[in-house]
Amino acid sequence: MSNTILSFTLNGEFTEVQVSPSDMLVDVLRDKLHLTGTKKGCGKGECGACTVIMNGEAVNSCMVPAMKAEGSKVETIEGIGSPDKLHPLQVSFMDNGAIQCGFCTPGMIMSAKALIDKKAEPSKEEIQEALSGNICRCTGYVKIEKAVSDAAKQIRENL
Amino acid sequence: MKEYTTVGKSVRKLDALEKATGTATFSTDFSLPGMLYGKVLRSPYPHARIIKIDTTEAEKLPGVKAVATYQNTPRELFNTSATMTFTVPSLEPVLDQYIFDNVVRYVGDEVAAVAATSERIAEEALKLIKVEYEELPAVFDPLEAMKPEAPDIQGPCREGKNIPGETVKIPVGDVAKGFAESDIIIEKQFKLPIQKQAQLETQAAVAQVGVDGKITVWSTTQTPHPTRMILSKIFGVPHSKIRVLNPPYVGGGFGVRIGLSAKAEPIAVALSILAKKPVKIVYSREEDFIASDTRHGGYVTVKLGAKSDGTFHALDLRAVLDAGAYCSFSCETPGVLGAMGLSVYRIPNEYYYGHSVYTNKTPAGAMRGFGNPQAMFPIESVVDMMAEKLNMDPLELRMKNIMKVGDPWCLPYPCQSTGLAECIEKGAKSIGWERRGKLNKPGAKKLRGIGVGVGTHCSNAWPFCVDYDNAIITVQQDGSIHLASGVPDIGTGTSTTLPQFAAEVLGARLEDVNITFADTQSTPFDIGSHASRTCYAAGTAVVAAATDARKQILEYAGNLFEVPPENLDIKDSEIYIINQNLGEDCKGSGVCQIGEGKKTMTLKELAYHAHLRNKQFIGVGRIVPGNAPPWHAHFAEVEVDTETGQVKVIKVAAAHDVGKAINPVIVEGQIEGGVLMGVGYAVSEEIRYDDKGRQIHSSLHKYFLPTIEDTPEIDAILVESNEPSGPFGAKGVGETGLVPTAGAIANAVYDATGVRFYEIPLTEERVYKALKQNGY
Repeated sequence: MSNTILSFTLNGEFTEVQVSPSDMLVDVLRDKLHLTGTKKGCGKGECGACTVIMNGEAVNSCMVPAMKAEGSKVETIEGIGSPDKLHPLQVSFMDNGAIQCGFCTPGMIMSAKALIDKKAEPSKEEIQEALSGNICRCTGYVKIEKAVSDAAKQIRENL
Repeated sequence: MKEYTTVGKSVRKLDALEKATGTATFSTDFSLPGMLYGKVLRSPYPHARIIKIDTTEAEKLPGVKAVATYQNTPRELFNTSATMTFTVPSLEPVLDQYIFDNVVRYVGDEVAAVAATSERIAEEALKLIKVEYEELPAVFDPLEAMKPEAPDIQGPCREGKNIPGETVKIPVGDVAKGFAESDIIIEKQFKLPIQKQAQLETQAAVAQVGVDGKITVWSTTQTPHPTRMILSKIFGVPHSKIRVLNPPYVGGGFGVRIGLSAKAEPIAVALSILAKKPVKIVYSREEDFIASDTRHGGYVTVKLGAKSDGTFHALDLRAVLDAGAYCSFSCETPGVLGAMGLSVYRIPNEYYYGHSVYTNKTPAGAMRGFGNPQAMFPIESVVDMMAEKLNMDPLELRMKNIMKVGDPWCLPYPCQSTGLAECIEKGAKSIGWERRGKLNKPGAKKLRGIGVGVGTHCSNAWPFCVDYDNAIITVQQDGSIHLASGVPDIGTGTSTTLPQFAAEVLGARLEDVNITFADTQSTPFDIGSHASRTCYAAGTAVVAAATDARKQILEYAGNLFEVPPENLDIKDSEIYIINQNLGEDCKGSGVCQIGEGKKTMTLKELAYHAHLRNKQFIGVGRIVPGNAPPWHAHFAEVEVDTETGQVKVIKVAAAHDVGKAINPVIVEGQIEGGVLMGVGYAVSEEIRYDDKGRQIHSSLHKYFLPTIEDTPEIDAILVESNEPSGPFGAKGVGETGLVPTAGAIANAVYDATGVRFYEIPLTEERVYKALKQNGY
């Protein structure tokens, strides 16, 4: 099958990249666009480390054929904040001790962002449901759940 | 207790910003110009001899740059574990692995590897390698593998059929006499499952072999320095020509890469030598499951004797662990199982006998807890059975028998601190122990119960394995501090905690301390991150290095200030004269001589002052750590659905004597993560095999890893007993969170249902069947 050009909006910038029809979005992001913040932990949609936001929804980018991203808006961990202007979720993960090895962190933050972008005051159950596809083996999730809850509160109070 | 500036404070982790922004680099993110991608061909048979292997077609595929097999790679025996290739005499190393061999011993064993210009081409090439196998008889259960008719998996073994290395025997007192003098004796056998570390980043390595023969390997190892030693042995290259480093972050460890990352490092190096290009290998999740070490499953028997007043009098503990196809840590794990199992309670007559047995399964190696959880689920179950027989409260029985400071025990170092009694008291309060037995209404279908489990552990591996640390602290010309330590940060906070020690001792601001870690080229030898040792042991080396640098700084400053060094102190990176009040005139102090009106001097000024006079302050710490027991009591509340067999863990109160929490939030995180891994061990996690030797649970979904929705309320309670041998009183905490968890949960399930389980995990199927057999 021949390669083709994928055009989409990545972290707010119009982006074109040559992809093969069998490429998955995660591999295009990591290998072709060098955005290695999105991690790959299983390649089968089982761990959530590769979570990005596509058209407002959290998706496992290892399960999304790259061509499906044509014309879409994709956000990755690199696009949601910078060291001088961090997203409240990034600050909250740091301040709550929600980061250990850090391999699940980008995916966790993206799943959490997709949730609180839609739901300003998520319940404990809603946070758990939104993050249930993101595996963390280090933290026991306790501080992650608190980090998401605190960040949502922070965002509400600053509106 | 003295109030410290940095130690004891929950400062934000120094690596948090990189990790929260996606800029932290892991091995799987790492690439080099011209880099090739390696893939491994694995055995479909549990035991077979390779009659013929033909790589011609694979080599012809465009993009393929090298194919490695046992025929063109070093025939040098090694052991993937950090400690066994170079073990402590009189123990003899068990070396039973080649990079590739002409015999395969489990489904997933390495047969060949390909380096190509893309992963896809490498995968295509694997399909073109033609291998002719002669199948050999296989055995999958350790008890079966000990029988005379079982196949020899690694050839004849000295101590018994298929037993790697030496059996472990720990005698204390006279156990036969002890049982003869006991009023009540309980003996039970337990079956333990195979658990998987399931760290988020799979095994990975990038190897570059230079034209000068120098080898650099970026990998996921938890122990860069020992890994370099193993690679040096395999490839016959001097240590000084090999560099092993993390990139610098590692996506979790939990023991799975203490030594090599499965075989990712040597395979990448072998391919790089053949292809003359850098080669990257990243294991798929399935490869990580089937071809990297697991926790040891097996059988543990507990025989406990007590006097009628509840005093424990004799304990006989026996373990037969499933080693899988290669030794890895299978000699040390039964040792820790016995040593820890015998050291929780004060029992005058004890005996332990344990060993591992080769089977045709994925090798078992190190996993968080390292044999200790396998000891404590059985022991804590039997202790509860004893309490019931004695008609005593399980807490009272434990309080009566737990080890105290100064008690004799089998360990070759003293028990200098224990906060276990306090852990039991605080944990009981958190769970509401007094509610036990009053939780269920008659006829309820969902039954609640509360259970307890206690335990101990180590704070490093000495004197069981080689275990020492070095650290170097260099005060830079601008007064900032550079710390070099060879340990990695696998997520446990090393790269924050070690700078906290340095800052505290030097009186420096934490932001002035920078650390280089996990790199054999820029750090002195350190055994690495395992055995709950990093904070305790590497921390001791950092404190020694900082103390040395501080001495040099104060001597230099004392000379300059014309006061004895002991009259000086450092705070916020500023040197000052003790007891000289702020605003006081500096006349007579000598400080005026170094600047008009000044009576203090910043580290920056002092370091530059010294630099202009050809001097730098360099502190060296070279230590052999002591060892110390952390203690813990877990209390679990569970709900058992008698109609489905589901065990839901409602809450775990986890009280831990950590000596001193250097960074309390990091310590809590270690405990919470350990608890959930222990919940998984108790209720859902297990790798089983089919009759062809294939793993049934070879992916995250099939394996039932706990998700955020399975997380109970976890109350991590910190108890500080101030361990004399530890840096600022600290002891190990990395592994302890899952040591007593399964015991506490099984005891809670018994409290709820009256059904005692001798096998975990407590899956719906297992619990449902048992409940039906018991009249539910």
